[in-house]
Amino acid sequence: MARRTLVFAALLVALALAVIASLALGAVKVPAAEVIDILLGKGDGGSDQQIIEALRLPRTVEAMIVGAALGIAGAILQGALANPLASPDVIGVTGGAGFGAILIIILFPGSIALLPVGALFFGLLAATLVFAFAWSGRNRGSTGKVILAGIAMLSLFTAGTTGLLAAYPERAPSAIFFIAGGLTSSGWQELETIWPYFAVGFLIAACLIRPLDRLALGDDVAASLGSRPQLIRLAAGIAAALLAAASAAIAGLLGFLGLVVPHVVRMAGGTSSHTFVVPASAIGGAALLAAGDTLARTLRAPIEMPVGPFMVLLGVPLFLWLLRKAV
Amino acid sequence: MEASAENTGLLEARGVEVEIGGVAILRGADLRLEPGKLTAVVGPNGAGKSTLVRAVSGLQKMAAGSARWQGREVSEMRGRELAGLRAFVPQRMPVPAGITVREAVTIGRSARLRPLRRLTGEDHEGIARAMERARVTRFTERTLSTLSGGELQRVQIAIGLAQEAPVLIADEPTSQLDLGATIGVASLLRDLVGEGLAVLLVVHDLALAAAIADTVVVVSEGRTVAAGAAEQVLDHERLAAVWGADARLTSHDGRTALHVAWLQQP
Repeated sequence: MARRTLVFAALLVALALAVIASLALGAVKVPAAEVIDILLGKGDGGSDQQIIEALRLPRTVEAMIVGAALGIAGAILQGALANPLASPDVIGVTGGAGFGAILIIILFPGSIALLPVGALFFGLLAATLVFAFAWSGRNRGSTGKVILAGIAMLSLFTAGTTGLLAAYPERAPSAIFFIAGGLTSSGWQELETIWPYFAVGFLIAACLIRPLDRLALGDDVAASLGSRPQLIRLAAGIAAALLAAASAAIAGLLGFLGLVVPHVVRMAGGTSSHTFVVPASAIGGAALLAAGDTLARTLRAPIEMPVGPFMVLLGVPLFLWLLRKAV
Repeated sequence: MEASAENTGLLEARGVEVEIGGVAILRGADLRLEPGKLTAVVGPNGAGKSTLVRAVSGLQKMAAGSARWQGREVSEMRGRELAGLRAFVPQRMPVPAGITVREAVTIGRSARLRPLRRLTGEDHEGIARAMERARVTRFTERTLSTLSGGELQRVQIAIGLAQEAPVLIADEPTSQLDLGATIGVASLLRDLVGEGLAVLLVVHDLALAAAIADTVVVVSEGRTVAAGAAEQVLDHERLAAVWGADARLTSHDGRTALHVAWLQQP
């Protein structure tokens, strides 16, 4: 119990540091004390305050929401499918969202504002197709069927994306940023469209924590306790699809985060209890993405690098170190 | 109230039929459970024992027949209501990493909670009581992955007891246990029956069934073919007809044995 509290506290500290760094660092460096004053509403209304409130705060909030959403999506999928390899990739969301975004970038380069909508739509479409196939015929809703249908759908949409890029090579460069994954300083505009998908996803995920703990003891125990295992899996899939598609709409393809963060918190906390893993994955994911985004835009400023590779650089060593210690 | 519950039975199942993938697994099975009685379902491999207990528990859809819990049809009840009437203990549950015995029993108790509600003091008492009744209090803070087969089986029973349902159903709880652990689980189940619980078991070991059951139900080829006291139901003729064995059940002073002519077909 003490260990979990410790891990939780460490994650919160990491998140606080990452948020302050994300707000303080950039082309204009703002001292941390001033950042905190501005956050508490005690700013002097100067240019620092404008930079933070108009540019950095929306971006930092986006990083936190997307990081938390991907962490949760991975945690509930790994729990619901009882498979350590589960992530938003395996229910087709990532492949679909990538295809939708590239479709907009390549075929409608004039309406780039549609990109989040395209990513969201095709991400959810891919997940819907996965569930429709996995929930039909015999053995409906089994873990194996979901994962196989998901990988088939991922291949299909990835092939579509690759095909588009090959057909229009001159427009490929603008697609690279989306595929690598990254945030932009475009204010609150994207969140204003996308937030309801996050809200519903977070709400379903919160309601799933206890059912997922039951499911961890097997379908029979879950059924004995009055739950319906297939329904839990379906709800987890829907919540993960909403969270991952909304995340892709805002920050591109960051599937790695959803796979790794739940494993890291499980290994660090020494438990797979969802009452710990789901909230800890949310905080861990938020901290990792906020830190990764800060690094990505400050290391070679003013050039912004996509955050995906940076998060991998931050996350993989930690992951491998924990994996070595895990039994 | 007590008398009327005994008249209708906790569970009355009649003519239960189950089809899985177009194959008829159960073709007409009856079952009746009463408080303070232990019922053992026995039969050859593939006869439909597990399917029968899963069907009446609501874990397997029935193609025909009825299973009424305190007068209410199983298919018409919501999961939460059913969870308050019967607990189902599978043969072997998966063991998630880092989950302690207490946490697992707490998950069992969650059957009594409304969604998103927290545990009350009463729930914590219920969890402690379930662990005590299932004799797992010596290792409540250990993780499930460190337990022996017998200890894990008792934890599974504790999870079921935390539901505080009047019926406990277990599918072959002793089939993977050694002799000592089997005795431990058997005497535990018998004590629970003594406290007034109705227990329904699927059992392979006929000598064990004879020793612990008040009623033995024989399932053969998808049908219940006999129900009653072990010495009447498991006679020489039935052992030959159902199991194809030349065997005799003996019982003396609480000790039971199955004398089998191992190398002879009847």
